[in-house]
Amino acid sequence: MAHRIFRKTITTLMATLLALEIFFGNFPGSFIKANAASEINGHTLIAENAGYRLYMQEDNLSLIVESKETGTYMESAVSFDDGNNNNTWLGAMQSAVVITMINGGDDSKQADLVNDDVSRQITYTDNGFSAKLYWTKYKFGMTLNVALEEDGVVASVDDDSIVEDGTSYCLGTISLYPYMGNSYMDEKEGYLLVPDGNGALIYLDDKEGRFKSGFSSMIYGSDIGFDESDTTTLLYDKYNTIKDSEQIIAPVYGIAHTEDKIAYLAVIEEGEGRAQIECVPNGVSVNYNRAYAKFICRKTYTQPTSNNSTSGSIHTYESERSHSDLKVRFLFLDGENANYSGMASAYRDYLLKTGGMKCVDTAYNTRVDFLGTERESWLFSTTPVVMTTVDDIYGIYDDLETAGVKDILSVYKGWQDGGLYNLPISKYKADSKIGGTKALTGLIRDAEERGISLYLYNDGRTINPDEQNATFNVVKKINKRRYEEKTYMDVYENFLYLIPDRSDYMLSKFLKSYTSKTSGNLALAGVTDTLFSYTYSGKTYSRYDTEDTYENMVAKIDESTNLIMEQPFAYLWKNTEAFLDMPLYTSSYMYEDESVPFLSMVLKGVIPVYSEYVNFEANKQEFFLKLVETGTYPSFYITKESSSELIYTNSCDIYSSEYTTYRNTIIDYTEQLKKLWEVTENAYMVSHEITGTGVTKVTYSNGVKIYVNYSSTEVNIDGLAVSPMSYVVEK
Amino acid sequence: MKKLKKKTLAKLIASLALVLVLAAGSTSVSHADAPYKTYTVDGYGSVTETQTAYLPYETITKIGTEALTAPTDFTLLKDGTMYILDSGAGRVVVSDAQCNLITTIGEGVIVGARGMYVTEDKTVYVADRDGGQILVFDSEGTLIHTYKKPTEAMYGETQDFLPLKIVVNSSGTMYVICESNTNGIVEISPVEDGTFLGYFGTNATKANIWTIIWRAVLTDAQRAKMMSNLPATPDNMAIDEKGVIYTITRGEKLEAVKRLNIAGVNMMEIERYPEVPAAVASGNHDNVFVATTTGFIYEYNNEGDLLFMFGGSDDGKQRIGLSTKVEAIQIGTDDKIYVLDSEKAQIQVYEPTEFTNYLHQALYLFSKGRYEESKEPLSEILEMNSLFTYANMAMGKALYKEGDYEGALKYAKLSKDMDGYSDAFWEIRNVWLKHNLTAMVLIILAFVLMIQVIKHVDKKKHILDKPRAVLNRFREKKLVSELRYGFYFIRHPIDGCYGIKREGRVSLYSTNILFALTIAFYVINKYFCGFLTKTVREGKFDILSDVGLILIAAVLVVGCNYLMCTINDGEGKLRHIYSSFVYSFVPYLILMPVVFVLSHIVSNNEIFFVQFGTFAITVWVAVLLFVSIQEINNYTVKETIKIIFLTLFTILIVCLLIFIIYVLWSQVFDFIQSICGEVVYKIGS
Repeated sequence: MAHRIFRKTITTLMATLLALEIFFGNFPGSFIKANAASEINGHTLIAENAGYRLYMQEDNLSLIVESKETGTYMESAVSFDDGNNNNTWLGAMQSAVVITMINGGDDSKQADLVNDDVSRQITYTDNGFSAKLYWTKYKFGMTLNVALEEDGVVASVDDDSIVEDGTSYCLGTISLYPYMGNSYMDEKEGYLLVPDGNGALIYLDDKEGRFKSGFSSMIYGSDIGFDESDTTTLLYDKYNTIKDSEQIIAPVYGIAHTEDKIAYLAVIEEGEGRAQIECVPNGVSVNYNRAYAKFICRKTYTQPTSNNSTSGSIHTYESERSHSDLKVRFLFLDGENANYSGMASAYRDYLLKTGGMKCVDTAYNTRVDFLGTERESWLFSTTPVVMTTVDDIYGIYDDLETAGVKDILSVYKGWQDGGLYNLPISKYKADSKIGGTKALTGLIRDAEERGISLYLYNDGRTINPDEQNATFNVVKKINKRRYEEKTYMDVYENFLYLIPDRSDYMLSKFLKSYTSKTSGNLALAGVTDTLFSYTYSGKTYSRYDTEDTYENMVAKIDESTNLIMEQPFAYLWKNTEAFLDMPLYTSSYMYEDESVPFLSMVLKGVIPVYSEYVNFEANKQEFFLKLVETGTYPSFYITKESSSELIYTNSCDIYSSEYTTYRNTIIDYTEQLKKLWEVTENAYMVSHEITGTGVTKVTYSNGVKIYVNYSSTEVNIDGLAVSPMSYVVEK
Repeated sequence: MKKLKKKTLAKLIASLALVLVLAAGSTSVSHADAPYKTYTVDGYGSVTETQTAYLPYETITKIGTEALTAPTDFTLLKDGTMYILDSGAGRVVVSDAQCNLITTIGEGVIVGARGMYVTEDKTVYVADRDGGQILVFDSEGTLIHTYKKPTEAMYGETQDFLPLKIVVNSSGTMYVICESNTNGIVEISPVEDGTFLGYFGTNATKANIWTIIWRAVLTDAQRAKMMSNLPATPDNMAIDEKGVIYTITRGEKLEAVKRLNIAGVNMMEIERYPEVPAAVASGNHDNVFVATTTGFIYEYNNEGDLLFMFGGSDDGKQRIGLSTKVEAIQIGTDDKIYVLDSEKAQIQVYEPTEFTNYLHQALYLFSKGRYEESKEPLSEILEMNSLFTYANMAMGKALYKEGDYEGALKYAKLSKDMDGYSDAFWEIRNVWLKHNLTAMVLIILAFVLMIQVIKHVDKKKHILDKPRAVLNRFREKKLVSELRYGFYFIRHPIDGCYGIKREGRVSLYSTNILFALTIAFYVINKYFCGFLTKTVREGKFDILSDVGLILIAAVLVVGCNYLMCTINDGEGKLRHIYSSFVYSFVPYLILMPVVFVLSHIVSNNEIFFVQFGTFAITVWVAVLLFVSIQEINNYTVKETIKIIFLTLFTILIVCLLIFIIYVLWSQVFDFIQSICGEVVYKIGS
């Protein structure tokens, strides 16, 4: 305790001095800078660049990264033990590499550099080191490479350096520097950046042990190839009332120590296809705040031993490790950039530099989507429910144009023969009930002449076993049982997934007939926001394989089409011309303190971002302000007919969509948001600030500031009066 | 950011002066998306999704520095003061609206309490189950009264006194739910240290048809051995400002939630009942909230129509707004919902969304009779969700009050509000009659006059002879006369059957035509009758399955009846049975069009005519069928009744048989399919 108070005092004194320094200006040869140490907490200086110094300690290969500008640093190992931690926890807190092993059915045993006998060969390089490690007891090893690069520290393990010689222990998960940037209880001021939804913060305050667990989620969504325990309580045994959690769209997390003015954003550069991000506040098992990525090599699963699911099963694990290089890039930030706005800018720069995304036309559009036809049960089969025909769309476009709405982007769903869920789509054939293929082709062309892009919706992933033959080419889980997606709806109860090669085949077949008749506007879904392991024909495919196939497939499609995507994962951003269905909130976990528009800040000014449908928002005004705050373009799901027609279909959750209901909202939103776009055109969002008054302040790279007031009272800020539930633009 | 700065300052002070700063209370506020969906029910009883009604607002885990151990009850006063019964610690924790600890009450006095009630003047009543007593504390926390088991004989000497939940009305009368007391809610007056007034709001026992039959059959001794059929005790209750008591009872369905007036009569009928309800609370707008143990929250209006249901169980992912074990629910003056979760030891606060605020505004204005004003929030709701049943219904009523009957009719139809529709229809019809009555009378007079004139002229000049001859020739055609035989048949069924059986007065052809007509009439009536008598959703057609069902039923009835008759010395041939059955439905063909037309012009006031018409048809057809079976087979009355029962039994057996064959065949089919699948799979791989 005394130690802790002492540490806190020292830290705070340093912070005070730092504050004084900033306050009284930048006198030359600053006090802290002059005292650049060659050793901190037993770590010796091994590399240095323009902005940072890298220190390392050989025992457990832990790191300290020091900012030259602020003199503050972040540690990869916990340097203060509060006495409540057992050896296993201490091992995890100190080691550069932390491994969980699988031994029989047990996947919880830990291997690290502190508690285990590890032979090591360390080679120093110009900007870091390389350490060849071998766990003699467990008979596996790997080479850890660490380098201080211009933008931060990179830790990596090459796939071919990983060796597994033993038979009783094999690798389960690997984490590199899991306690990088850790802090004890509330000793540091700052937060963890959680990649949940658009982005969330967990403050580094004392959580008083309120939480049993922290954020833990697979990058790019959970793996349907493995069974997850299903404990959903259904309302009336029928309705699943719980919404799915948001998926991790971009493989990043971060920690900021705002008082120390140092922060990092970790980008999982390699191996992110099968990794988990953990952001854990203090009080969960131990009293340290930490965030890290856990690369998964193997997982245990349950293998039923007969077709009848009740007659027994065995618990086993994957025999083959999934193969990929593992690499985490810690983009370090200091000074005024040591916050989530800085992280967003750093990630944007990083993506633009590495080709992870490219600037496309970000001109304003209101997204007006249409639903063509759906199906409802009828006798032993189904019958069409026609919602919006080609002629209806002409009518709606005409009407909107007369009202002054000309900037429209549309996605047409349920256009294909057999309705929305006649999946997959293998050829360009429109349902005769909406007017047929010829009429649809005409509509796409006419819309183009008016400056409206109409995209056809295609879910390349799903197959509907009630409408199409699903004997072959469907995804089987690792236990070789077919994967079924439950819909909890009446008409089609289950959907299956196509194996990636089949998706590729079906999409190219469709595109062949589609691109020959039109310019190929395609809104791709399904394959853009799913990743899975699977087995097919006796072979096992990992998420990396799926990722590769999807990535190549999308790159190929991009060549012949105008491609926009629904909630695309970060590895597909380079191919999309728009980001559809951007979540503006989070999954609402209890341990998250604040929701921040991290992804919106990364993408604004680079790729146009469209929101989820406005239709289903209960807080209309608040949602509108959220659009203003995040620079997101609005989306509407429109049908000509009343949505009550859909009540017996699988789309019965679309309870409000009739055009007449939304006409005025579309016109109003377009008018206001277009004005906003005009002043922020092509600018990046450089700063985002949640002031305590209920007003959020957003600053753009062209100097425009937007103040959004979510409170119910008028707020005066920076000499401006912002009315309640309203916004002000300052140019 | 301000929060951070504030903390920085606090920390500097803390570390320099070595003063510990204690945080006041522990709450976390976050504006986020709800992790649950919200549902409502439409006029046809279908559950549909709707906009999020309430968003998680904050989570209260601590009062001041006091953590809750196992809270089981909770009262929220108008000024925001919260009283939490922390059963684990045997005390009542009192907190202000900002979660600062005011005081704790009852430490060392409370033995094992489950329920609590606090009046607006801050008198605290604790239902101490393990102590078998009710403890009353004044606003300072001093024990002022203890009520033990009532001594009155009426209470029951052997009956235990284990108070679980308590509410108190404005005059101080206590209503207590006691464990294992099935007589009802115990009503105790504070006079003379507790006078037992009687039982209140007793639930009715449930007796299904089997228990009734059993009871009739069994002897007294056997009956005594049967499991006693006791009414379910309510599990929780609430009281509103007017002294109306709300109870909830687990295991009940339509009576799971009750709104009891002073006489203990239920004034609320719910259709969508909550499963395992845990707590109930009255809202600020004549609305009622029920929370289930599993974390679902229901909101009803005062008539029991479901407005929203939302929430759900936490599956361990710790998403805000989901619950583990709900014990109590309270509503704040700002319409926020407070839900006490005993397992999580926290109070989750939910805040109404814009959508819900409009709805509450409308509920309020509507209950005050300000229909004109209520139209504004209603149209906002309908703008967001044009199918929200309550809004459509209220809009219909508002327009009706304004005299816009056409509009009222439209909205009543959308919400399937029968009474509203009927009232609006009555007005519209009234107006129409006012405008057209004279014209109609004139037309009828002219028509009658014209017929008289034609008759008169015909008498003198025989102008109608030619058409009459044509008509007669038409009537004499075989098919026509066979069809016309129906008129004779329904008036003289005994002779009619003789005609069918012996004289060949009908043919298969004519029977088929009549059968087809019957089906056609049925379908037309089902889908195109007046709104008030309609049983299917507007605009929904499923004609093929209707026709299919009738055909299957006809084959079953006729076939089974024939089978039974042949082995029971019946004389009827299959053809005769079929014809007589179809001809028995001629009253339906004749009267149905009348009923059909009537259904379009009556309102609820005259719907009796339609009902009577339907009843007359049913009786007439039933009599004809009975006579047909008897006459065609030459049975006595007794034999006929026997044969009817036998036919019904045969139908049952045939259905069972078909089902078994279907199951067996589907197994065989599955087997063949899986073998084929496997072969193909082997070849494929």
